[in-house]
Amino acid sequence: MQKVQAIVIASGTIGRSEYEAIGAAKRLADRLGGESMIVIVGPNARGMAHDAKSSGVGKIFIAEHPLLAEYSADIYLAATEQAFRAAQSDVLIFPGHTVGLELAPRLAYRINSAIVTDCTNLQALQGGAVQITKPVYGGKAETLLIAKEPPVAICLRSRSFDPYEPVAASNTEMIPVELALAPSLQRTRVVERIVEESGESKLDDARIIVSGGRGIGGPENFRLLEELAQLLNGATGASRAACDAGWVPTSWQIGQTGKKVAPELYIAVGISGASQHMVGISGAKKIVAINKDAKAPIFKAADIGIVDEYQKVIPALIERLKKRQATL
Amino acid sequence: MRVVVCIKQIIDPEIPPSDFRIDPERKEAAQGTASLVISIFDENALESALQMRERGGNQGEIIALSVGPPSAIDVLRKALSLRADQAVLVTSEGQLDAFATARLLAAAIRQLGPVDLILCGREAGDWHGGQVGSFLAEEFGWPCLNFVSRIDLDGERFTMRRQSDEGWEVIQCQRPAVATVTNDETNVPRIPKVKDNMMAFRKQIPTWSLKDLGLDMNSVLGPNAKLELKDIYVPVSNKSCEMIEAETGPEKAAQLVDKLVQLRVL
Repeated sequence: MQKVQAIVIASGTIGRSEYEAIGAAKRLADRLGGESMIVIVGPNARGMAHDAKSSGVGKIFIAEHPLLAEYSADIYLAATEQAFRAAQSDVLIFPGHTVGLELAPRLAYRINSAIVTDCTNLQALQGGAVQITKPVYGGKAETLLIAKEPPVAICLRSRSFDPYEPVAASNTEMIPVELALAPSLQRTRVVERIVEESGESKLDDARIIVSGGRGIGGPENFRLLEELAQLLNGATGASRAACDAGWVPTSWQIGQTGKKVAPELYIAVGISGASQHMVGISGAKKIVAINKDAKAPIFKAADIGIVDEYQKVIPALIERLKKRQATL
Repeated sequence: MRVVVCIKQIIDPEIPPSDFRIDPERKEAAQGTASLVISIFDENALESALQMRERGGNQGEIIALSVGPPSAIDVLRKALSLRADQAVLVTSEGQLDAFATARLLAAAIRQLGPVDLILCGREAGDWHGGQVGSFLAEEFGWPCLNFVSRIDLDGERFTMRRQSDEGWEVIQCQRPAVATVTNDETNVPRIPKVKDNMMAFRKQIPTWSLKDLGLDMNSVLGPNAKLELKDIYVPVSNKSCEMIEAETGPEKAAQLVDKLVQLRVL
C-alpha cells in the first residue's frame, strides 16, 4: 500500500489530535516509500491547508463548502467520502476524537474499507503491508493486525502518536475538491451545546492531573482534590465510577472511553486501577497512587504509592505544598 | 414505538488483570473462572431504552437482540428480566467481523417488523471496535448518533443527549434512527427484580441461524475479514512501585513532596 492520507475534519479549530493524525500519516507514508496526503474538510479548508503545508506532505486535498459551516455528521460524511474518492488513498488515518470515531466507521462502510479503531502503533512492513497495534480487553491485551489490501481506515488513539514535525519548505500540491452537497442530506440538528471545563488547565494539556475514583466517596470530597490540583496548577479528572455516580461531570472521565491524558504527574486518589482506567493514563510520565487498599491493582502500575485513607494524606499534602510555596 | 437493543455477551471485563489469560490457539481471552456478562455499554443502551419507555408513559416495545454462541441466551434472558418485551438470538459459529455482525443483526431486525430505533453500546467491552452501530445505520440508511446517553421521542423526532469532547449536546434527529450509547450518571444499569427473573425464565427466546435468515458466511463477511490477526498477547510490564512507608499522614505527604522534587516533577 502506498498512499496514506490523514483526514482532518475542520469544522472548528484543529488541534493536537489532528496534528497527531498528520504526523502518523506522514511517517507511515515515508516508511512505506509512498505518498503522504491530507484531506481537509471544513468551511475554511483553504486557510488550514496553507498552515498544514509545514507538515511536508505530498498533497493536500481541500474540501471546502458553505454547507460545512457547522458540523453535522451527515454532511461531513458526504464531503469526506467525495474527498476520499478524489484522493484514492490506500490508508485513511482519522484523529482519535469523537468526530473521528463517529465518521470513520460510516465512511469505511460506504467505501467498503477495512477499519481498525483505537490504534496505538503503526508499522510499515515489507511488501507494503501495514501492521496495526490495537489494545483489547480493556487494555489487558494487545493485538497486531496486518492490513495488506487497500483501503484500510485507522482511527488513532489520542496521544499515542507524535504530532508532525514542521519542515522548512515543501513542495506540497494543493488540490481543491469540488463537493456536491445538499441541505437535505442533514438529518440531525444540534439544539444545545454545553461545555464543561475541568480546572484551571484542560485535562488534555494539563501538566499535572489529580484524579479521583470510587474511593472518594462523594461529590463534596472532590473539592479537596480540586484544591490540590489548583495548588499544582493542574486539572482534575476522574474514573468512570465517580462519573457514573454523578459526583463529577462525565467530561472528567479518563480511560478507555474517556479522555487520554499524558501529564508529567498523575495523582490517582481512591482509584483501584482497573485496566480500562489505566488505558487513559498510559502516557503519564509519573503516577502516584493513594489508596487505602494495599492490594489495589493500581499499585502494580504506579511509580510511587501510599497505602492510606486519602483523607489522612491529601490535606497534609496540601498543607505541605502551601508551606513550600510560601518559601519559594 | 418499537426499539431494538442489540446486546453482546462478553467475558467479564472486571476480572483483575492478574487473572486474565489469552488462549493462544483461539486467539482470544480464555474464559477461565470469569463469568459471561452483557457488554457494559449495551447495558447502558438497555437502561436508556427502559427509561425512554417509562418517560413515554410505558408505551412502546423493547426487543433485545443478540448475535452470538448459544450461551448468549443468558444475556437475552437478563434483558427480559429487566423487562424487555421480547428477545431473539441469532447463533453464529466462529469469529465474526463487525460487518458480519451488523449484517446478521440487520437481517434479524428486518424479520421483526417496523422498528423506530436501534440502540447498541458505543463499543464492545472486549474488542472495543465501535463499528457495529454505525454499520447498522448505513445498512438501513438511517441517521446515526454516537455517544448518546439519553433519548426521548418528541412527536416524529428523537431528542438525544450526546457526549462531545468538551461536554455534551442536545440533538434532534429524524426517525427511524440508530444510536450508540455511552455511560453517564443518568443511565447506570438497574438490577432486575427477583420476580422478573422468574418471569424471564418462562419466556421463549427464538433462536435463528444464518440459514434461517437466508444467509451464509460468505455473504456476510466484510473487508475486516481480510485483516490478519497476527498476534494477541498480554504486554509485559516491568514497572515497580516505590511505596512510601511512614507513620502519619503529614510524614507521608512530606516524603512524597521530597520525592517529587527529586524527580523534578515539582
